[in-house]
Amino acid sequence: MTTLATPFSAQVNLIQPIIDGLAHGAAYGLLGLGLVLIYKSNRIFNFAQGEFAGVGALMTYMIYTGYSFLPKLPFGLAAVAGLLAGILTALATERAVIRPLFHRPRVVLVVGTVGVTLLLIGVEGLVFPRGGALPTVDAVVGLDTPYLTKIDGVPLLYQNLLTLAVLAILAVGAFLFFRHTNTGTAILAVSQDSTAARVVGISIERISMITWGIAGLLGGIAGIILAVPPAGTVLPGAFTGTILTVAFSAAVLGGMTSLPGAFAGGLLMGLIEAFANADYSFIPGLSSLPSAQSEVAVAVVLLLVLLARPQGLLGREV
Amino acid sequence: MSLLEIENLRAGYGTMPVLQGISFSVEAGETTVMFGLNGAGKSTTVNAIAGLVESWSGEIRFDGQRIDRRPMTDVVRSGIALCPEGRRVFPGLSVRTNLELGAWTRRSVTKEQMDLVMSYFPRLEERADQLAGTMSGGEQQMLAIGRAMMSKPRLLLIDEASLGLSPALTQIVFKVISQINADGTTVIIVEQNVGVLPYADQAIVMEKGTITFDGRGKELAATGDLRELYLG
Ligand SMILES: Nc1ncnc2c1ncn2[C@@H]1O[C@H](COP(=O)(O)OP(=O)(O)OP(=O)(O)O)[C@@H](O)[C@H]1O
Ligand SMILES: [Mg+2]
Repeated sequence: MTTLATPFSAQVNLIQPIIDGLAHGAAYGLLGLGLVLIYKSNRIFNFAQGEFAGVGALMTYMIYTGYSFLPKLPFGLAAVAGLLAGILTALATERAVIRPLFHRPRVVLVVGTVGVTLLLIGVEGLVFPRGGALPTVDAVVGLDTPYLTKIDGVPLLYQNLLTLAVLAILAVGAFLFFRHTNTGTAILAVSQDSTAARVVGISIERISMITWGIAGLLGGIAGIILAVPPAGTVLPGAFTGTILTVAFSAAVLGGMTSLPGAFAGGLLMGLIEAFANADYSFIPGLSSLPSAQSEVAVAVVLLLVLLARPQGLLGREV
Repeated sequence: MSLLEIENLRAGYGTMPVLQGISFSVEAGETTVMFGLNGAGKSTTVNAIAGLVESWSGEIRFDGQRIDRRPMTDVVRSGIALCPEGRRVFPGLSVRTNLELGAWTRRSVTKEQMDLVMSYFPRLEERADQLAGTMSGGEQQMLAIGRAMMSKPRLLLIDEASLGLSPALTQIVFKVISQINADGTTVIIVEQNVGVLPYADQAIVMEKGTITFDGRGKELAATGDLRELYLG
């Protein structure tokens, strides 16, 4: 074996993967937050979280472009409609599927959310079979370039910065919500002992509704921010197919009950993926790695973390 | 009019009846103790009063108002608090947060009531920032009673106050309960420990979903029925 190594380049081998990784990771974290919220309160994996994002993105797109009989409105209003669609979809899921099955084994509820996911993907396909994409933030605001600056030639996109900022704000906001508000504390109380919560007079129906409403809002925000080029699209099932599974891993990695954990787990997943996909031809003999390496790397890291720290990186066993 | 009136109450689980149409009343300011063997229906009775278990038929009146078939939130707000069997504190929340949640339906009274509860159980004040799940069984029992008191109830229902407590701690808990009663809260205690009898104004004995004794605590102590019930 006499493969010649190419010289190490900070731009290709370091900066590009870091920026790609953080950008993708923010997307995972954003969906991961909603997953953690529902897990904290209902102790289930909500498979429909990706499609709450999908519905939010689709509604925003259809109103922004004036699709079919819908009015064509400015992006801000279209986004509000998208967020409302996300919230209403989540509330409907809670009312129609979660509440009637509330006292069943958790696995039944999980399967229920899988059913909702398939239904939503199907309905999205009926309403809007074509693909589309939402505008990036620089286009909405009317900036000249899509990037703030270039680091060693790698552009730092406004859209990615926005995603990171929104993720950070939501993670901190959700953390404060659970720490310092009555409703947030009540959600934790219901999740720890729903009988005890009823005993102190908390209406667990109302709390469940609020929780799902927030998860729908988080989904809608994720959808609107992530359904933009180059990576994101408005396509039925796109979020479930591309982001949701990794977002699950991110949430698990972060401890499943920790909101900052979902944030950190998301970024970590993105970085692992990006570095696994990076070019390592500067190392002699490593000119070509198989292309599925990022999935393998993500899975291996996830399993290693779980074996070493079953409660996740930031999780507590409660 | 009695503070609590129960008339012909039937309740159960699924299709299995437990309470076979029981009737009794509780006077304001008194302490009522419910005795009975395992499975007699004591927990079902207090849970039905609190609204945790749905009543099938009959009436429960509190201060003259029907409270059966009302959501539990309304029952708590009307002035009834339950300290449930098995304590059921929120394990992952601090002692202070547990207490604050006890005042969920009356958020305005938190501060003054918190001081009162802490004075009943000074141990809770020392441990205010500890996670409830890491407290000892006895401390959790104090917390469960304290949490119930946070809603400033007129009627306090305590299901098995002494379960798993040392004799010394049991006596302390009984003393605090009698202090709570002296401070104006009507109390119903479900109890297997005969040591509670001196505190009982009224005593009720249940057997298989019916009431077999309902009278003054002193009378029950005199008849020796309790020895017979528990020792066979
Ligand atoms: N959630 C439930 N589902 C089905 N049956 C129940 C349930 N809770 C209680 N039971 C049954 O109802 C009957 C009365 O139970 P209950 O808990 O009221 O008795 P108890 O007098 O409190 O007994 P213990 O002294 O053991 O606490 C028992 O036969 C019990 O098995
Ligand atoms: Mg019982």
